[in-house]
Amino acid sequence: MKRRGKRLLSDLDQEIREHIELATQENIERGMTAEQARYAALRKFGNVTRVKEDAREVWTKVWLEQLGQDIRFGLRQLRKSPGFTAIAILTLALGVGANAAIFSLVNTVLLQHLPMRASNRLVVIWISNLKNGWSRIGPAGQDYLDWKDQAQCFEDLFLFEHGTGTVTGGGEPEQVAGLRVTTNFAEFFGVRPLLGRYFRLDETSARHNLVVLSYAYWQRRYASSPAVLGQSMTLNGEVYTIIGVLPSDLATVFPVDVVVPFDNDWLKRADSDLGVFGRLRANVTLEQASSEMSVLMGRIARQRPDRKDYGGVLVPLESARVEYIRPALLLLLVAVGCLLLIACANVGNLLVSRAVGRRREIAARIALGAGLGRLTRQFLIESALLALAGGASGLLLALWTTYVLARFIPTRIPVPNAADYVSLPSIHISAPVLVFILLISLLTGLLFGLLPVFQTLRFDVNEVLKEAGRGSSSGPRGNRTRATLVIVESALAVVLVIGAGLMVQSFSRLLQSNPGFNSNHLLTLRIKLANDAKDSPYKEPRRQAAAFQRFLTAVQAVAGVQSAAFTEIVPLSQDDMDMAQFVIQEEPPAPRSQHLASDFRDVTPDFFHTMEIPLLHGRVFTEHDNLDSPRVVLIDETFAQRFFHDQNPLGKHVQISDSTRPPREIVGIVGAVLDTGLDQRPRPTIYLPSLQSPDQTMSLVVRTALPPSSILPAIKNAIWSVDRDQPIFNVRPMDEIISSITSAQRVAFLTLDVFAFLALALAAVGIYGVTSYAVGQRIHEIGVRMALGAQRSDILRLVIFQGMKLASVGVVIGLLASLLLTHLMTGLLFGVNATDPLTFAAVAFLLVWVALVACHIPARRALRVDPMVILRYE
Amino acid sequence: MSTGEEKERIELLQGTLDLLILRTLLLGPAHGHAITKAIEFRSDEVLQVEQGSLYPALHRLIKRGWISVEEGTSENNRRAKFYRLTAKGRKQLAAETSKWEKFSGAIARILRPTEERE
Repeated sequence: MKRRGKRLLSDLDQEIREHIELATQENIERGMTAEQARYAALRKFGNVTRVKEDAREVWTKVWLEQLGQDIRFGLRQLRKSPGFTAIAILTLALGVGANAAIFSLVNTVLLQHLPMRASNRLVVIWISNLKNGWSRIGPAGQDYLDWKDQAQCFEDLFLFEHGTGTVTGGGEPEQVAGLRVTTNFAEFFGVRPLLGRYFRLDETSARHNLVVLSYAYWQRRYASSPAVLGQSMTLNGEVYTIIGVLPSDLATVFPVDVVVPFDNDWLKRADSDLGVFGRLRANVTLEQASSEMSVLMGRIARQRPDRKDYGGVLVPLESARVEYIRPALLLLLVAVGCLLLIACANVGNLLVSRAVGRRREIAARIALGAGLGRLTRQFLIESALLALAGGASGLLLALWTTYVLARFIPTRIPVPNAADYVSLPSIHISAPVLVFILLISLLTGLLFGLLPVFQTLRFDVNEVLKEAGRGSSSGPRGNRTRATLVIVESALAVVLVIGAGLMVQSFSRLLQSNPGFNSNHLLTLRIKLANDAKDSPYKEPRRQAAAFQRFLTAVQAVAGVQSAAFTEIVPLSQDDMDMAQFVIQEEPPAPRSQHLASDFRDVTPDFFHTMEIPLLHGRVFTEHDNLDSPRVVLIDETFAQRFFHDQNPLGKHVQISDSTRPPREIVGIVGAVLDTGLDQRPRPTIYLPSLQSPDQTMSLVVRTALPPSSILPAIKNAIWSVDRDQPIFNVRPMDEIISSITSAQRVAFLTLDVFAFLALALAAVGIYGVTSYAVGQRIHEIGVRMALGAQRSDILRLVIFQGMKLASVGVVIGLLASLLLTHLMTGLLFGVNATDPLTFAAVAFLLVWVALVACHIPARRALRVDPMVILRYE
Repeated sequence: MSTGEEKERIELLQGTLDLLILRTLLLGPAHGHAITKAIEFRSDEVLQVEQGSLYPALHRLIKRGWISVEEGTSENNRRAKFYRLTAKGRKQLAAETSKWEKFSGAIARILRPTEERE
């Protein structure tokens, strides 16, 4: 306030007295008595305090001063009714906390950009062959070279391949996750190394033997020593020079240990399963790039017949990474929004009831000259105080919830249809989350703070004051507001509980769905023979097969191992995929037969026994199905149905890739296995005996009676007893694999259940609150009714009917809203329809039942009314 | 507006009080009560100054620098605050007056044609 203003204001009293004095004198001159004159002058002048306050307002930021007053007053009001305050804050904390937790999840997983230059223009490029049912497969080196030559829409292309390598020398042999990259790595991503440097563009030859370490590996193996640069390490038997260390945040894109450059010659020979990223030109849209790509793939097919019927699939890198988890998170966001609305409705309800109770206080304040604006502000400040307290408690709740959520949210999630995984960043409460909490707290405060304002400030002051001490009825407006709130929250609760109900069914069906094998007590691990090394004993295919055979024999001898087998790919593991075209020798080579495609698995004879995959016809492999005996295959029942229909496949021959390959006789049919996911359909699969088709990398599956983790050391030792330099990696019990591929549904299922329970509880509290308030208001009426002979059952019906009316309307609205909303979760549902009538009916019943209980408690209280007491009180 | 025996009185339109205060002070410095009296007298008691708004209005005008305040002595020989129009206030008065004339002229033009048709 300016000095001038201060002086003027301090003199204002005197000035007003003077003014009134003069007016009084004038009135006396007009012939009034002294008393009359003074009274008239005062009346004409009006409210002195108000004048002073208005004058003050000219000079001060008066709202700031009043804000302080209002806050103090508000705090006093809240302290005066601790029960109300506690319930309101707790309710809000639930709403805000749940929202903050889910938002922090969404913020970390969906909204954060990758730590790379122009990360929104990076796309993953897969190739597809829809005729074979392959929607996303990794391209070959030649594809990359062709695109690099011919595609116009990319600024740059980047090629990489995930792999594993064996590090020896200085301690135990270690299998490390490796990444082979084109040398434009640094330029493509625009990231600086933490230490040292990346590859130069011309360092493409394997002769250079340069390696860059990941941050995690550098920490783990070299204790973050900066002296690591220039040191050498032995990788696959060759000596590499360490030239740099990656920054830590790159681990969310490439969760690897070491990075080495692609050899140019090798690149041309790499025939599949590579990863390609492209960076779109700044003005090119995804659609333009996609259409250019499909034209380009057509042109490439004319030069390279093996690319006939192939297309290109472009997906933005950032969305490809979260494709799997996104629907679950969005569903949770909607659910948690509903929960917040319910919390708001509940607190709004409490405030409205309280405001009705405070009508006399408010009327008195209006009569004493409080402006409508000031009163509104008072209400808003009270609700804002509540909201902020709720927000602060919500923050605590959110911290705890994110901690719990972090244990359920997987760090590695599958990329749909791509046999690949990505890692998610860990979730935490960050600055945007804090801002979010503050915003939604204030917003909710505003929302429910305005409710009582609208409905209480419109009464007639005189009426209220005249009602004096009578416990009056609250008038129709208050009741209507509260009724609406109860309807809204029951409806929202119905929506949430139906969502949760669908999720529960879906998830239990998912877990119960038969994968085609017995998933209990199965341990899996992966072994890669070190045949990249120069002096590897496994260069020759026969020796590879023999090596796996020796490992198997050793493992089978371990106590507690019931059976064990090797397979190229563990079902459901998403470790890899192996698909190819084939022809059936007995069928004429019709043009259509060019498009026969199937999954392939190399397995050892005991695979079917170990996995408990049933043999339906013929026989399984034996140890005699080796390179010296006729080639044989098994097919699964999906294959038999798709390609042989009602013919007998046994004795027929398939030729893998094309008709020039040796025919392999079908000797048996086994049950179908879900390979790609519990919610997927089985795919046609051909099994080959691994003795006839040796691999470098295979997975061991072990069935054991003991807990898989307890038997692991013995199994490792058995493998090392055969070759003590053999690394073992990807050790996972089948349970873990299944929980990883169902993680999105699991998160949605668990979280939605908690939300639904909270919603139900809040709705019950809301219904209870309104009913018991109504009982309180009608206590007089009830007393009179009882005095006039109303039966207990009549009173009970009267009270319960009132509450149930609202709940029923809410249930109906909720059911209708659910019909519209549940289709949002179709992608997450398995084996249950989004409008499953049984779920809808059950939830409606549940809510009606909860509402009945909530109404029943106040109804019982109404019955205890003693009519005599009520009437005497009158 | 208490009694029926008084003339029909009109409450001031929002914002016009400032204009009337400035116009009153054009005649010379005056204290609060005198300003009220002058407005009521010069409007034949038609305009009713809501006295509650007078002092806040005076403070507002001081803050804007359109009037100044000085000590003086009132009719009954008491110390009183006298308000005086400043040069800035004079300019403001001119501007406000022409604005008001435009406004009332416009209102009058809208109202006139109905009268002429009769």
